[in-house]
Order: sequence, then C-alpha cells, then structure tokens
Amino acid sequence: MRTILRDGSADAVRDRNASAWLIPAGQRRINEKLRAEMRHYDDGDEIDAVIVGCGAGGSTMLQRLARAGWRVAALDAGPFWDPDRDWVSDEAGSHHLYWTEPRVIAGTDPVPLGSNNSGRGVGGSMVHYAGFAPRFHPSDFHTASADGVGHDWPFAYDDLKPYYEAIEGELPVSGEDWPWGDPHRYPHAPHPVSGNGEVFQRGADALGIETRVGPVAITNGRFGHRQHCIYRGFCLQGCKVNAKASPLITHVPDALAHGAEVRPDAMVVSVEVDERTGRATGVRYVRDGVERFQRAAHVIVAGYSIETPRLLLHSTSKRFPDGLCNDFDLVGRYLMVQGAPQTGGRFADEIRMYKAPPPEVSSESFYETDPAKPYRRGFSIQTVSPLPITWSEHFAGQKVWGDDLRRQMRDFVHWACLGALCEFLAQPDNRVTLAGQRDRHGMPVAKFSYSQCDNDRALMKEASSTMEQILLAAGAEHVTTFHRYAHLVGGARMGTDERSGVVDGDCRSFAVPNLLVTDGSVLPTQGAANPALTIMSVAARAADRLVRRPDPRG
Amino acid sequence: MAARLPEHGVTPGHPHGDAPSRFPGFDALDQADAWDPVTAGVVLARLGPLPPLRFFTPQQESVARPLLDLILAQHEEPRVPVFEMVDQRLAELTTDGWRYEDLPPDPQAWARSLEAMESDALAEHGHGFAACSPDEQAGMLESLLDLGDGVWHGMHADRVWSLWSRYACTAFYSHPWAWNEIGWPGPAYPRGYKNPGVGTREPFEVPDAGPLESHGVPSRGTDGDR
Ligand SMILES: Cc1cc2nc3c(=O)[nH]c(=O)nc-3n(C[C@H](O)[C@H](O)[C@H](O)COP(=O)(O)OP(=O)(O)OC[C@H]3O[C@@H](n4cnc5c(N)ncnc54)[C@H](O)[C@@H]3O)c2cc1C
Ligand code: SF4
Repeated sequence: MRTILRDGSADAVRDRNASAWLIPAGQRRINEKLRAEMRHYDDGDEIDAVIVGCGAGGSTMLQRLARAGWRVAALDAGPFWDPDRDWVSDEAGSHHLYWTEPRVIAGTDPVPLGSNNSGRGVGGSMVHYAGFAPRFHPSDFHTASADGVGHDWPFAYDDLKPYYEAIEGELPVSGEDWPWGDPHRYPHAPHPVSGNGEVFQRGADALGIETRVGPVAITNGRFGHRQHCIYRGFCLQGCKVNAKASPLITHVPDALAHGAEVRPDAMVVSVEVDERTGRATGVRYVRDGVERFQRAAHVIVAGYSIETPRLLLHSTSKRFPDGLCNDFDLVGRYLMVQGAPQTGGRFADEIRMYKAPPPEVSSESFYETDPAKPYRRGFSIQTVSPLPITWSEHFAGQKVWGDDLRRQMRDFVHWACLGALCEFLAQPDNRVTLAGQRDRHGMPVAKFSYSQCDNDRALMKEASSTMEQILLAAGAEHVTTFHRYAHLVGGARMGTDERSGVVDGDCRSFAVPNLLVTDGSVLPTQGAANPALTIMSVAARAADRLVRRPDPRG
Repeated sequence: MAARLPEHGVTPGHPHGDAPSRFPGFDALDQADAWDPVTAGVVLARLGPLPPLRFFTPQQESVARPLLDLILAQHEEPRVPVFEMVDQRLAELTTDGWRYEDLPPDPQAWARSLEAMESDALAEHGHGFAACSPDEQAGMLESLLDLGDGVWHGMHADRVWSLWSRYACTAFYSHPWAWNEIGWPGPAYPRGYKNPGVGTREPFEVPDAGPLESHGVPSRGTDGDR
C-alpha cells in the first residue's frame, strides 16, 4: 500500500493551502499560537467581506479570500472547536456537535433533523460528517435537458472540474481510480477495508456490480502534520485524530495565517441593506448576549440549507418586505434531501462493523438514468456502520421493543450495513419558511416541509432491494431495511436569472450585488453523491470569480 | 492518558445481574485506562450518581418508569437508570431541537403522551398504568403501535413512539453495561483498532459464545423510522 501522495502534489497543496502544516506535529491537535495571534477586526471597520457560517462553504471562502489579501471575518454561531478538549470518542456524548436549536418539521414525509443533518461550530457539519467525498457526475449539471427532471445548473461539470481537483488535493481524498462519471484518480491511495467493506465487495462481486474503495476525505498516511487514521469508527462524532478532513483543519488554519478572523459563538440574526443603494452593509449578530453590527463591503451567507434561507427570510426591509433576495418567492424553495435507506445483513460470522471509518467502499453503478426503469436519475450505494445507539433506533423505528429489541442488539457484532443515496428531485414546495415559534434570540425558527414524489419513492424501493440482494449474495442470513434521509442541499439555488434562482453561477445574488450565498443552499440538484466536496468546490470557484471581479458592474 | 482506574464496581456483562452472557467475561470498562481522559470523564460519569429528578411530576414518573422498563425489557435490578437519564435530558433541554409540526417541543410532548397513557389505563383497566400487570402494559403499548400513523389523543401514534423510543435507546445504549451485553468495546481513542476484517478480533474483544435464544427479525412491519 502506498502511503504517499501519488502525484507528489503535497508540495503544490502546501503552496496554496498550508493548513495541514500549520497544525502542530505532536499529540496536540490545534495550533494554539495561531489562534491566540489571530487578527481581530472592529465592528465599525468596513472589512472586505463578512461570512456567516464557518462550515464547508464558508471556510473555503474564508481561506480563498484571505489568501487573495482580503480583510475577511467568518462569524459562526457555535464554538471554535478544540478536538482534544471538546470531542469525545462516544456516541451520546457528541450531542453538542449538532445544531439542536429549535426547528419544526412538516409535510407528508417530514425529515427529522438534529444529529442526522447539520452541525454547529467552526468546521460546520463536516466536523461530524462521515467523510465520503465523491464528485458529482457530468450529467448532474443538466438533468432538465437530459432527463426532463430537476434543473440545469448555470455552468457545466468542466467548469467545476479544476476546483474538484484542487479541493481533493487539499482534503485530501483517498480512493481507487474512479471509473464512474468523469473517470479520475485520487491523490491518496485507498485505505485497507474492514469486515463491512469486505462484505459489500463480496456481495457486489457475486452479482457483477462494480465497487471501488473510497472516495474518503481521510488521510492515508501522514499529510502535513496530520496523522494517519486509527480505524476507530467514530467519524460521525468528530475525528479526534485529525485524520478525517473538516474545514477546521483543512482551511481555517491557512485562513488565520493569512490574516482572516474566525469569530465563534456569534449568532447572526440579520443581513442589513441600505434602502437607498440596495447594497448589503453588514450583519447584525449577537455575541455574549450583546447585539452588534459588523460592517462589510460584501456579505457572504453560508449557514447551511436551513439556516441560510431562515436568515434571508428574517432579513426584511422596505426594499425586501418578504425577505432578502426573495422578490420571486424562491428563497427556501427547492430544498432537497437524499433518500438514504440503510440495509443491514445479519451474518453468521462476526463482522464488527465499528472497526473502521464508516465510509469505506462505494458503487456508483446505479447513479445514472436507466431508460429501462420507470424512474429518472439514480442512487449510489456505500458502506455505513451505525454505532449502537443509532443501530438500536433503527430497530425501534421498525417497532421492535422489549426483549426483541435486546435480542437484536445482542447480535450487533454480526451485522454489516450498507446505505444508499437516492437522488430525490427538487420541488418548489419542499421548503423552509418561518414558524411562529421563536428561538432564544427572539428570531423565528425555521419550518421545514418535505413531501416525496413518486420518482423519489420508486428510487428508495429500488435502492433498498438492490442493497438487500447484495447482502444476501454476500451470505447474509437475513436482511432488513431502515428508511431514513440525509444531506440537505438547496433552498437558495443557482439559476440563470432572477426568476429561476436566488443566486447566479458565481453564487452572487441577483437582487443584492454584494451579497453571496456559498454553501449547500445554492445547489440546484443533488445527484446521488454526498455533497460536501461539491459544496467546497462551488465555493472555491465562487471565491475565484469574486476575487477577479469584486464589483459586478466594474 | 487516564491514570489507572480503581477496580470498577458492578459492571454486569448483562444489565440484569448474573444472567448468561453472549460475550462471557467481556467488560468494556477493562479498557477504560486506554481511553482519553475527556472521553473517560463523559462515559464514567454515567456510572456515577445522577442529579435529583427535576422534570417529571410524580404522576408522570409513575407511567414513565414502567413504560421505559417495558420498552427496554429492564425487568429487574440492576437497571441502567434510563428513567433518570431521560429526566435529566428533559430538565436540561438536551433535546435534538426539532419537533414535528403537530407535536409540542419534546418536554411537553413527553408530559402529554404520558398523561394520555395514564388516562387510557384508567379507562381500559380501571387503574393507573403503574398498577397494570405486565401483560396489560404490553397490550397498551401494542395497541399504540398498531395505530401506525393514526391519531392517538391528538398526536400521531408513530411520532409518540418515535419520541419515547429515541430517548430510551439513547440512554440505554450509551451505558457501558449495555455495551457489555452486546460485545462492543465503546471508546477507542487513542487506541484505535488493529484487526478489522470478518471474523477477526482485538485481544480485548471476546468472541460471541452463541445465541441465548434463536435469532430472527421480529415480524412486525418494516415501516420507516420517521
Ligand atoms: C451525520 C452526517 C453525515 C454526513 N456525511 C457526509 C459525507 O460522508 N459526505 C459528505 O459529502 N457530506 C456528508 N454530510 C453532509 C455535509 O456535512 C454537509 O452537506 C455540509 O457540511 C454542508 O455544508 P454547508 O456549508 O452548507 O453548511 P455547514 O457545513 O453545516 O456549515 C454551516 C455553519 O453555519 C453556522 N451557522 C448557521 N447559521 C448561522 C447564523 N445565523 N450565524 C452564524 N453561524 C451560523 C453553523 O454553526 C455551521 O457551522 C453529512 C452530514 C451529517 C449530518
Ligand atoms: S476512523 Fe479514522 S477518520 Fe474516522 S474518526 Fe477515527 S481516526 Fe478519524
């Protein structure tokens, strides 16, 4: 197994993003000096850009703009995490990583939030994401033209490709050569595979379904001063090792070294606009109980697919009585989740699926529209390995209780588990609105409505039965499928004009020239791929375009 | 790394005393000195005293205790203190934040659903839930589950079940006694695992000694965990 970068690009990465080298080499996971010496801007100082949210999209923007010499600060509602002190190798003890402020869910297929959807604090949801880092396929950028569903992006795959390559180097991503979509290679060699991955490979081989190891944003070998994965299976609880990529370690250190400020524990409550010029002037935020106003020449919102629409809808003014950038009632709409059923297979052997990162092996063989099927678009299949609490909730969700529940759980070491990601279609009524209820800041909470369409249901069914066949082919004694959802994107989508999107292909809002949205909210479609790599790549592209052309009229 | 811990006290391989174990001799706590100190602090606190009850009223308590015991089949001591752990979460508002549109926030939803269960017990059996026989209690839970997404006292029955079972499972399977029962070693930092792969074990993992009973997925439907 090779443990060095294949194309020797570590030096090239270091030249453009030295984050991995700014982390100390020893057992301490953060660079205390870098944080202590971080630049602080005054509220009244008109900085070049203020970013709301320091997650996947926000941190990428922060690092890119700081590198370009911009005076930039990112405000995050949550803490500036210290993995040594703040994170634990424990499921229930990781509750504080999630966004657990009040939210209301509705619709005919409401999507439970909390631990399964979004994070808070510097690093955002990638602190507790699994770590799969696939690209979207070229077809994802024009599903309306090709398949008559979804929405075409304002740019094509080839426009994003250089940014995919850049971010894959910076995370870095490990995996086998990728045959699907636009075939490509990964900077790090694939990780060894555990019992769960072995089962997936065995079952898929028996059925002639192609699988590949990866792609995961987990270092294989040292990368800068980041250490090798220790295969402990707690990726969804935050990586205490610094092996799994999150912006906290992949982009924030380099941003700080280039003069950016990260302002944690700062909840942004509105974006302000000048009624006369129609330009954004900065953000109102609450820190230590005190309301403040940060002035900025650009406002960049990256608070996640629920909080971004919520903030825009709550930012009303004479010019925008129905919410910022909401002239055409598009804010909050076309929100998507992926259908993410998980299928377990019970084996006579001990699998002990917890002994590896949950993300190991994938198949994108069912990703594209198959004209022979009654549905459009497709799904991918990946290893997942729920820990005991989540596993017991799966059975409880099937109404298993009492002695039956305990008996199922005593079999924990015998189960393998696969998860599918089904491309649910964007629909206008799947959306965020403001509820009557308010949070502790007095800000109305988000209400998120979701209803599936027939195509969504057909995909879920097909994906579940495919996973069941794979596990049975691998020798499972019996299988069972749990229905769930993952990965919210959309809600402030990109479009070609103000009637089709909230922002343009450069993530700049049509309504307010110096306001950008650079998180998962801007995605018009979601493919059957995990979204973080695409979110970061879209943000990196937007940063590039912004730096080259700060004033759209200039 | 944590200092060597004193020999731990009661850590039954099965939360219910000396019942036979699938993983004989396995004790996740044997590895506690290999856990990082922050994790050890969080996990070991679950074995220590819990704060006094603050959330549930005595009447709600009289329903919640037997109900949680029923859901988790905790029929005798020593029990994982699930009821106390749920009380603590609700008192401290350590909720997941989200709620269904037709349900109030978790604390009120708990209070309301427990009171509804009590009123059903009085109506059906002429005495409170706590005074019901185990069969009567199980029957009432079964009828609630049979309602599926039907409405029960103004709430979707499946959402009430989801609320109860999520809190119950989170509390029970966060406890090292439950880990012992299922053969799972718990925290793994900074140690990690060296022997992944089908049928392989670490030196501290104990092989499954075989079923205590026959396996099989219970036949109740496969409704989603919405
Ligand atoms: C359990 C789980 C597993 C996942 N697994 C994967 C995976 O394997 N691969 C993958 O690609 N994706 C995965 N994801 C999804 C992925 O993590 C997210 O899609 C991605 O991080 C979203 O990026 P974002 O920039 O939109 O928002 P985030 O990364 O969530 O960042 C938003 C940030 O904004 C902050 N914020 C919000 N509102 C405000 C406000 N008003 N003021 C100040 N700050 C605010 C939040 O605190 C947060 O830090 C997973 C997610 C979860 C929950
Ligand atoms: S399994 Fe590896 S990547 Fe995942 S949390 Fe553990 S050390 Fe980090």
